Formats: sequence, C-alpha cells, structure tokens
Amino acid sequence: MTQPQATVHVVEDDEAVRDSLAMLLGSEGLPVATFALATEFLNQWTPASAGCIVLDIRMPGMDGMALQKALKARNSLLPIIFVTGHGDVPLAVEAMRHGAVDFIQKPYREDALLDKIHQALAIDAEQREALEQHQGIRERLTTLTPREKEIMRRMIAGQANKVIAIELEISQRTVEIHRSRVMHKMGTHSLAHLVRMVMSVQG
Amino acid sequence: MTVDKARILLVDDNPQNLKVLYETLRDRGHYLLIANDGEKALQLVRRHRPEVVLLDIMMPGMDGFTVCEQLKQDPATANSAVIFLSALDDLEAKVRGFQLGGADYIAKPFQPQEVIARVETHVRITQLERSLEARNRELEGDQARILDAISEGIYGLDAQGNISFANTAAGNMVGEHPDRLIGRDICSLHFTAGDDSPGLSQLGLGENGEPVWRRQVSMRRIDGSSFPAEYRASPRYESGQLQGSVVVFRDISEELASQGALEQARRTVTEQREQLAQASRLSTMGEMAAGFAHEVNQPLTAITNYVSLARRLLEKPQPNRDQLQEVLPKIAAQAHRASEVISHIRGFVQKPAAGRERIALAPLLAECLEFAEVDARSNGVPLELVPLMPLPAAMADSVQVQQVLLNLIRNALEASHLAGATEPVQVSAEVQEQMLRITVRDHGHGLSADAQERLFHPFFTTKSEGMGIGLALCRTLVQAQGGDIGYQREASGISCFWFTLPQA
Repeated sequence: MTQPQATVHVVEDDEAVRDSLAMLLGSEGLPVATFALATEFLNQWTPASAGCIVLDIRMPGMDGMALQKALKARNSLLPIIFVTGHGDVPLAVEAMRHGAVDFIQKPYREDALLDKIHQALAIDAEQREALEQHQGIRERLTTLTPREKEIMRRMIAGQANKVIAIELEISQRTVEIHRSRVMHKMGTHSLAHLVRMVMSVQG
Repeated sequence: MTVDKARILLVDDNPQNLKVLYETLRDRGHYLLIANDGEKALQLVRRHRPEVVLLDIMMPGMDGFTVCEQLKQDPATANSAVIFLSALDDLEAKVRGFQLGGADYIAKPFQPQEVIARVETHVRITQLERSLEARNRELEGDQARILDAISEGIYGLDAQGNISFANTAAGNMVGEHPDRLIGRDICSLHFTAGDDSPGLSQLGLGENGEPVWRRQVSMRRIDGSSFPAEYRASPRYESGQLQGSVVVFRDISEELASQGALEQARRTVTEQREQLAQASRLSTMGEMAAGFAHEVNQPLTAITNYVSLARRLLEKPQPNRDQLQEVLPKIAAQAHRASEVISHIRGFVQKPAAGRERIALAPLLAECLEFAEVDARSNGVPLELVPLMPLPAAMADSVQVQQVLLNLIRNALEASHLAGATEPVQVSAEVQEQMLRITVRDHGHGLSADAQERLFHPFFTTKSEGMGIGLALCRTLVQAQGGDIGYQREASGISCFWFTLPQA
C-alpha cells in the first residue's frame, strides 16, 4: 500500500479565495487540493487521506461545522484549521470544542496561516506515525503463541525468570527460550521498550 | 268687495256740506274725521294718517290746494290720498289739483254713490300702497340685516367703480364706517396701481360682462395697511345695460396662514417619514453588517494571498514574470469586487435625492437581489428573480422601493431558513389592475390568521428580536408612493408578500 502524500485540502466556496490560497500554498511547496463544496471533499475522503484541511466555516449547502461532524463520524484524523469571518468567533469556539486544531480569521497574515498549516501537518504526521506503530505492534502481538503471550504478560508484570518457571512448572531454561522469542518477535532488545509498546496498544 | 276699516278725513268750511258727506259715508264702516279749515285738516292728517282726505278747494284762510301741497311735501303725510271736492268745474282747477298730488276729483253737487265709489277705491289703493310700503320696508330691513350678518365684505359698485353700497363686514375689514365709503372709487381706495391690481374689467365692470373671481389680491385698508383678499365680482344688468357690479370679498390672511401651517405640517411628516426610512435602512445595514463584512473580507483575503504570493515570487533569485503577470490582474479584480460591495452599501444607505421619478423596475429588482444575495448566502436559501415580462416604468422613489423589497426578501429568506426550506425565495413583477405588482414568495411556515391581521401594525412582530417596525414602515413608504402592500397564503402553502406601485 502506497502512502498518500500529505496534502493541504482547501475547502472554500469563494473562487478567488480558493484560487489565491492554492497559489500561495503552492509557492510554499505544499501539495494542495481545492474543493468548492464540503460534499465534494467528503466524497473523495478516505481513511488514508493525509495532511490537513483549511476549512471555511461559512459555506452554502453543507457548511464547515457540518463537514467537521461528518468527518468525525467517519473517524477522520485530519486536523482542521477553520477559516472564519469577523462575527464568527462563537462558531469557531464551538468548532474547537469539537476537536478542530485551530482557527484563523479572514483576512489573515500569510505567516500566521502557514505556521498553523505546518503545525497541523506535523500533528497529522505524528498521529499517522503513532497509528502506524500501533498497527505494527498489534501485528507483532498476533504472531505470539499463547504460551509466549503468557510469558510476556508475566515479564511485563515484573516476574523474574525463576518465578515464572516455578509458577508455570517449567524449567528456567524453557522460560529463557520463550523470553528470547518474545523479544525477537516484538523486535526489541529492552524490556522497558516492550512494556511501553504493549501499554501503548492496550491504553 | 269689502274694504278694511279706514280713516277718512272730511274737510269743508260749509257745515252743511260736511253733514251731507258724513251722512253719505257714515254706514260704510270707516272712522270718519272732520275738519272745517285747512289748519285743522293738516293737524288731523299728521295725527291720524287717514287713508283718504276729501278736501274742499275753496276755503277761507288756507285753501285746499295749499293743504294738499303741504301734505304731499311731508313724507309722513304724503301717502294719504287726496280727493278734491269743488263746485269749480273748470279744467284748470282739476289739472292744478292733480299737479299738486291729488288722487281724484269730485264735482259738487256730488252724487252719494259716486262719493262712496271713489272713496272706497282710494281707500283700497292707499291701503295696498301702505302694505306694499310696509312689506318693502320689511324686506329692506331683512336684506340689510342679512348683508350685515354676512362675514364677507360686500360692495355695490356703479358702472364707474364708485361704491354705492357697503355692508358692515366691508367697513370692518377696511377700517371705515360703511356710510363713509359710499361714493368713493374702489380702485383708488383699495388698490395700488400695478401689474397685480385689478382694473374695472376685473371688478365685473368690463365689456365682456363676465363674473370675475380672484384670489390673493392685496387690498389696502383706510389706514394704509394691506391684507390678502379673495373676491368675486358679479356684473349687474338692467334691461341689457351694465348698471354696476357687486363685489363680495374676504380677508384670507388667516386662511393663508393655516394653509402655510398645514403645508409645514405636511413637510414635517414627509421629513419624519424620510428620517424613519433612513434610520431603518441604517438598522438593516447593521443587521446585515456581518454579511457585508464577510462579503468584503472575501476579496480582501484573496488580495492578501495574492500579494503574499507576489512577494514570494519576487524574493526568488529569478522571479517568474509569467506568474507575476497572472497574479496582478487578479489583485485588481478583487479590489474592484470589494469596492462594488461598498458602493452597494452606500447606494442603499444614501438619502434619496430625487424623490418620486420614473424608474425602470427590471434593473432595480436585479440590483436589489444582488444586494440581498449576502443574506441568501448566510441563510443558506437560494434567491431567484422570476424572468420578467417587459414592464412599463413605475413612478416611485427608487431607494424606498429597494428598501421595501429588501425588507420583504430578508423576511422571506429568514422564514425559509427557519422552516428548513430549500426551495428558492422567488421575486416576480407584473402589471395587475393598472398597477405594477411586485411579489416575494417563500416556503416558510407562513403566518397565523391573527398575525396576518396585525402584520402591518407598528410594533407587531413574530420575531423574538424584532421591533415590529419593518413592515409598518414598508406600508407607510408604499402608501406614500400611491401603492399598497399585503400578504396572502397561496393554496400551495406558499407565503406571498406583495406591494404595488403606480405606473409612470
């Protein structure tokens, strides 16, 4: 599966604003996709969509807030920067409560907007990386045999090899073999790292 | 024919003659008075005013002719009829008697029947004359009272414009006793020669002989001050000859003053209506401010973006001219777009200079819809103009028409939005019953019967934040243009607000 490129998705009904923003972001070297309608964006969205959304809060038809809700319902992780007008601060606050990363008032200074976009892209990359790691850990966990899982649970609980051997009525040597298989399968050399990995997917 | 009881004076120096006369007339039902000389006769006539005097000519001392002459000279006694009695049967005496005012002549020796017949005839004539006189006096009195009671001044003029009659009101108005106005020339008395002053022809004394009516003529009083007057002059004819005219006039200064006050009040009302309309436009602007801020912010945002882009392009070691050339016109276009929004607002808030004038509806409606597009977007309800048939021009104040239409459109958009309707708000115009009718339809919830009834009353509102001024003001504005405004719910459940304007 090819990794989709992190893209700034501009959802804005005003043609001039959309066009100028696309050109500006393009000059910054950012991949940009533009959408005149919220539904247009929603139709092409996939769980793999990466980057962020620069979303106009006021639009005909489905507005920014409605799109945010629809994306949330689909478990989208794309960070949203709302673009608002003068009187829209209460709306923006509402949007933040629903998980928007940030908002910016029109007309905005380019630095401020670019900062926010870069921040949002960083957040997305981080989230995506964390997500990928979790998926890797989960995949690795599935390769463990029931016995190995049992041994690992006790290792994480802090039991020494000797204790594990006595309680499971197996030799200490067998415990050591299981233990090195668990570490190998989970791709780590340190118990501390193993504990963190397992905690992160269980959290 | 019966005759009312009359007084009859018998005058003769001969007792025998008196006796015969007395006997002759005694049973006729009259009061009989007797005198045996001229002096006594005069006294009795003055005291009793008999209808008929039977007067002997030949008497010692004062003769009958002298008595008659004196009776006729005194207005108090002149209307007693004198019948001469004389043996003189000559023509000269008879003629002299008639010349002196005698009514008849009886020759001696007289026949009783003749005496009775002639006396009765003259009693009747005198009585008729007297009642006629009394009636005339009564009528004259009535007429004088009426003329004096009339608040208008009345002048009778002769053919030369001299005053022959003036009533009390005329005297009061010009500041002189009516009697002292008689005989004076109306033109030199009341009018100063000039373009505006009426000549004889305008006082009903012209050759055409038409009645004349004039208003706001300056009339001078006796003391030299003037007052604005209105008069009507009617020529007076007798047997086709112009005899003079009657001029009825009145002081209209109070009327002019109250007319002025009325005019002033009307101006004040118009001004206040204009101010209210203006205030309401400003308040509408306030309500729409967020929308307009958004409208202006869009191009400003685009401009900011394009400028940032241009700067970035220039900062590159080798600026891309093509890209720069692409960006600059876009900046200009967006700047123009922002100024358009602002000029729309100015156009709407601006005070109307022209008032009512010929206006073409189609561009006016289009402009108004473009203006309302802001609200359409923020309400998320489409707004459309139903294609218009060619329409005649309207006679109206374009700014106020836009104000009314914008108000109706905004209400319709809000109603549609509240009802969650997605059908467009439609604006249409047509000619109906000689009027131009503009209609705004929406798919909102509509109004209750109670609300419909009070819809255009001041301070009635169905909105939680409304003042209830909008529609009341709309009605005032539309009615001031000679149109009307109303609401109806169409069978399809569509709410329909309309207003009419007169054609130019």
